[in-house]
Amino acid sequence: MVVEATVARHVAIVDYGREVEEEIAKLEKSISRLNVLAENYPARWLAVKLLENDNDIRKKIESLSGGVEVIRQADASMARLQDIFGDEAATIIADYRYGFIHGLMKQVLKKPVVEKLTTSDKIDKIVTNRVLGIPIFLLALWVVFKVTIDGSAPFSDWLDAVISGPICRWGVAILNLIGLGGTWVESLWRDGIIAGTGGVWVFIPLLLFLYFWLAILEDSGYMARAAFVMDRIMHSIGLHGKSFMPMILGWGCTVPATYATRTMRNEKDRLVTAEVLSLMSCGARLPVYALFAAAFFPDHAAWFILGLYVFGVFWAIVMAKFFRNTVFAGGEKAPFILELPPYRVPTLKGVFIHMWERSEFFLRKATLVIMSVCVVLWFLINMPWGVENPRDSYFGKVSAAIAPVLAPTGNGNWQAAGALVTGFVAKEAVIGTMSEIYVGGGGAAAAGPTPTFVDDLKEIGVGFFNATVDSGKTIISIIPGVNLMGGGGEEEDTALIRAVRGYFTPLQVVSFNVFVLLYIPCMVATAAFISEFGLKWALFNAGYLTGLGWIVATLIYQIGRLLGLG
Amino acid sequence: MGEVKLLSNLKPGQKGKVIKVGGSGSTHRRILDMGVVPGSEIEVERVAPLADPIEFKLLGYHLSLRKEEAQNIHVETS
Repeated sequence: MVVEATVARHVAIVDYGREVEEEIAKLEKSISRLNVLAENYPARWLAVKLLENDNDIRKKIESLSGGVEVIRQADASMARLQDIFGDEAATIIADYRYGFIHGLMKQVLKKPVVEKLTTSDKIDKIVTNRVLGIPIFLLALWVVFKVTIDGSAPFSDWLDAVISGPICRWGVAILNLIGLGGTWVESLWRDGIIAGTGGVWVFIPLLLFLYFWLAILEDSGYMARAAFVMDRIMHSIGLHGKSFMPMILGWGCTVPATYATRTMRNEKDRLVTAEVLSLMSCGARLPVYALFAAAFFPDHAAWFILGLYVFGVFWAIVMAKFFRNTVFAGGEKAPFILELPPYRVPTLKGVFIHMWERSEFFLRKATLVIMSVCVVLWFLINMPWGVENPRDSYFGKVSAAIAPVLAPTGNGNWQAAGALVTGFVAKEAVIGTMSEIYVGGGGAAAAGPTPTFVDDLKEIGVGFFNATVDSGKTIISIIPGVNLMGGGGEEEDTALIRAVRGYFTPLQVVSFNVFVLLYIPCMVATAAFISEFGLKWALFNAGYLTGLGWIVATLIYQIGRLLGLG
Repeated sequence: MGEVKLLSNLKPGQKGKVIKVGGSGSTHRRILDMGVVPGSEIEVERVAPLADPIEFKLLGYHLSLRKEEAQNIHVETS
């Protein structure tokens, strides 16, 4: 049933004073003759906008037939007002508006006589302090990453156990039921879908944690302070305090970050920001670093990962500065006019909405795109039929053809090349491909009694509970001097971690990860770039990033070898 | 009575009454939109760690402007 409500609308019309009102009335009359616009917008509003010298409205009216005369009339009106008041019409209008607001406030609002220091003020005293402001910001970032990486690990392990255990078994059981057990379909399920997709799903807890903490920073109001603290730096490298937000989002996913540049008013600022966004290492690259960190630098994993993030930021700064002085030189600078809202305790609902909005996109990508890529890859690796060594498969041949190009970076083998190629589809697919190449196929079915369905469910439930407890303990252990994890915490390495150790040297690992950090954004991010800035700039983006990645990775590898590190 | 100064030259804790907002274009209008209009009371709250931007208090809320933007705003200090 549709209820039609009659709403009595009070239209508050601000009185702009006799002189301004006279000009408004004259303009209104002329505008109402341009009936095309007057149908969509109130003529009075258009008249006010013209007097305020609003560029968009001017252009819109100018494009109409007869519009040029209206613009000329508006210019004359503005000049007249300037003569009378000695100030721009825009100022006069804003003045009257605030006069109206002040009057209203006087009637309805009682203010305390003595203004006391609010909690927000007290927090700001510390957080935006001249000495402490920047260290606190860096500390906040560090805590976010530490909590994200350590806190999510137990859940990742749990998810890994669930996917490679019960879920894999259930699938096989179903295949057995319909008579496909032991055929190539079981291999596709086990080595293609479970090994590939599962390897990526394991990292979903990581992303959820990251988005959770970013949402808390944002909803509490701290992000605005971060922009305030960081604007000077951003400004000096040719960016804007507002570039900061998309860039932070870039740590989550380049796609929403690219869209987030829309909040910037200046087109050049926006394009420069977007061009360096991909250097803010996205969440999908984190699984790659995390894997290699666990395999090669288990005791310094957080430092290895943080190092890559900082390295990305470093290149973002260098490239932004470079672009500002070359490709995007000149142009009007955008102002920094930002409200610092009072601090609020984030609501759980708000945080989860933010978290969900950002994760949802990735989850869909992870399920749909990655699953299809894994299936296609499984076929390429297993074709021609009966191929024994993946090297002889179609996939191996394509990758081997590309590999020589990567030789100077130290990773000129077909496995690494293949993983990087699939990385264009989605960065986290690098992991999926590697587990496909290094682990898939070799996974012999575990012997012993098959657990029942009830056992499986119990295992899943108990595992989740334990993961939650462990995660809580790790997070608390971040506080210096507290260690609830008891000693070194010998973790069981996954099959992939063990496998990777045999294929890379530490120097190759560094070069490989730096290349993953810098090279071409994934296809989804590229698509977003095309839709926002056009094909030309998207190609420019993909091209310069890949070139940069190749050069930097090559330098690292070659210099490292000269120093005897390889 | 008061002394006319540029808003960018006020020290934290100092207050003033806006008498003129210079500049042009969208930046100018946006500053006006945020309530920085002649007659508004504005107070310097603090300066960012690297000396720029500056945080102001007006109309019961906090607004941040860069020095170069605050340079266009003339205030009368009491």
